[in-house]
Amino acid sequence: MNGTSHSRAQVPPGVQCFVGDEARRRRRIEDRVVSVFEGWDYEEIIPPLFDYADVFAGQALAPKTYSFVGRDGSLLALRPDFTSLLAKVAAGRLANRPAPIRLYYSGEVLRYEPPKAGRQSELYQMGLEHLGGGPPTADAEILAVAAECLDALGVRGWVLALGHVGVFNGLLEGTALDAPALERLRERVDAKDAEGARQALTEAGVAREVAEAVVRLTALSGDPPVLAEAERALAFSPRARAALAELRAIVEALSAAGLGRHLTVDLGEVRGLDYYTGLVFRAYAPGLGFEVGGGGRYDTLLARFGRPMPAVGFMLGLDRVALLLDRQEAAPAPALPAAENIASGDVGKALAHARGRRAAGARVRFGNGGGR
Amino acid sequence: MSLTVALSKGKLLGGSESLFRRARLPFPEAEGRRLVVSLDGLRFLFVKDMDVPTYVEYGVADCGVAGRDVLLESGSDVYEPLDLGFGRCRLVVARRQGGPDPRSASSLRVATKYPKVAAAHFQQHGLSVEVVTLAGSVELAPGLGLADCIVDVVETGRTLAENGLEVVEDVAASSARFVVNRASYHSRRGEVSHLLDALRQAAP
Repeated sequence: MNGTSHSRAQVPPGVQCFVGDEARRRRRIEDRVVSVFEGWDYEEIIPPLFDYADVFAGQALAPKTYSFVGRDGSLLALRPDFTSLLAKVAAGRLANRPAPIRLYYSGEVLRYEPPKAGRQSELYQMGLEHLGGGPPTADAEILAVAAECLDALGVRGWVLALGHVGVFNGLLEGTALDAPALERLRERVDAKDAEGARQALTEAGVAREVAEAVVRLTALSGDPPVLAEAERALAFSPRARAALAELRAIVEALSAAGLGRHLTVDLGEVRGLDYYTGLVFRAYAPGLGFEVGGGGRYDTLLARFGRPMPAVGFMLGLDRVALLLDRQEAAPAPALPAAENIASGDVGKALAHARGRRAAGARVRFGNGGGR
Repeated sequence: MSLTVALSKGKLLGGSESLFRRARLPFPEAEGRRLVVSLDGLRFLFVKDMDVPTYVEYGVADCGVAGRDVLLESGSDVYEPLDLGFGRCRLVVARRQGGPDPRSASSLRVATKYPKVAAAHFQQHGLSVEVVTLAGSVELAPGLGLADCIVDVVETGRTLAENGLEVVEDVAASSARFVVNRASYHSRRGEVSHLLDALRQAAP
């Protein structure tokens, strides 16, 4: 312990530790979500905690990845997310498995991230990937699974905010924005700042029709009828039109399945543009200031692993679900029945008695002492 | 449950009050010492201007009024759907009148209340700087030798001139923004839109 500046009890920032009822509550949340995943015929995958760093390369997460050098000199990384690992397995070990492949996971990911607004360095994610299915069918399926998870958890007032990266990207297709100018614009559209977006577009010299349409994105959010407004306003761009048609097909399928009142359209959703290729969505609920989960379509990732196919996925953050249920004052996990104290005068006899009570289904506390 | 609005107790308070009144929205008479006031379906939090984005980002407040300068510094992940048009000022780099141009210095010490904005600004220009974070009276720093220049907000430039300083360059323009929490924007859409529409019509 020489050279350390911390006390024995101190924990590094960004990690968490759960005891007793807290841990039980998290396990219960996980059980509910997993049973929904399995109900939709998704198979569990337990990928490794670390892999070669290049598996995770080329993502926005790269700067947040904990990487280290293995004994043989190879660069390794603790998993900052699950999706790349699942893509690797689907393209490798499951290469002969016909698509679509439905996989789910539940576990920790690790990121260099200052603890802030519901983010920790150690995050517990529950998610699934639908590999090899195109829109709108696979997209509608995973949105329906997400919806069922939120209902199964007892979340009140949740909404799924749906966007499509093809709208923003399609509008700007053919304009010669360099990376910094594009990022400045994306950041202002993401903040729904119409004036800021207009200024960024003017500085970049974007043509007026396109610029006005991009500015419109900051206000094109709301109930599904906003799609019709968008279709009129963005009709000049074939790619934006195609993206809207795809989004409409998804929205109509979900509405027909009775989920319409939980949907909101957000065409200003422009996060993860270099990763997602189609639908993007976030799940929100009153009481939690940030999304409880989200996902989208990423049709180019699998090609990196040698098995090009479309893919769509979503995940819920267990930490955020727990926080949200707290804020909504949802019922905690029911208490366990009291344990019977079985004292151990004669250890053999007491143990035989305890085993008998266990066989009868009772909870027992063997021996004396201890407390909670 | 009513919407919660975070307001700055500082320089944006007067502008916020007259805007809310023009929009025929409730606004507490005199906030006095109470920091939380419920009135006609809205709940108001009165906090320090630098803290407004934090309350809104975490969803403790659904929305609020914050200066663009403060939003730049906090880097908070909130929606900024409306420029309210008041509280206009500029974030600038200023030096002692007639002093050397800080942009050509080989090493530079900058005093500011906006350490992230200042560091990012000079980094963009390829300058590595030492940022000295102060809580106020930043204009004193160059004259007393604490820093070579400052990054601060100016409205008229009078305070700068009175302290023997002059503007070198602009960093950003600022004004009051109506900010909204991401989750509230989507999951309490109706109430947020109502407020947003009323303010949009009343904003100059």
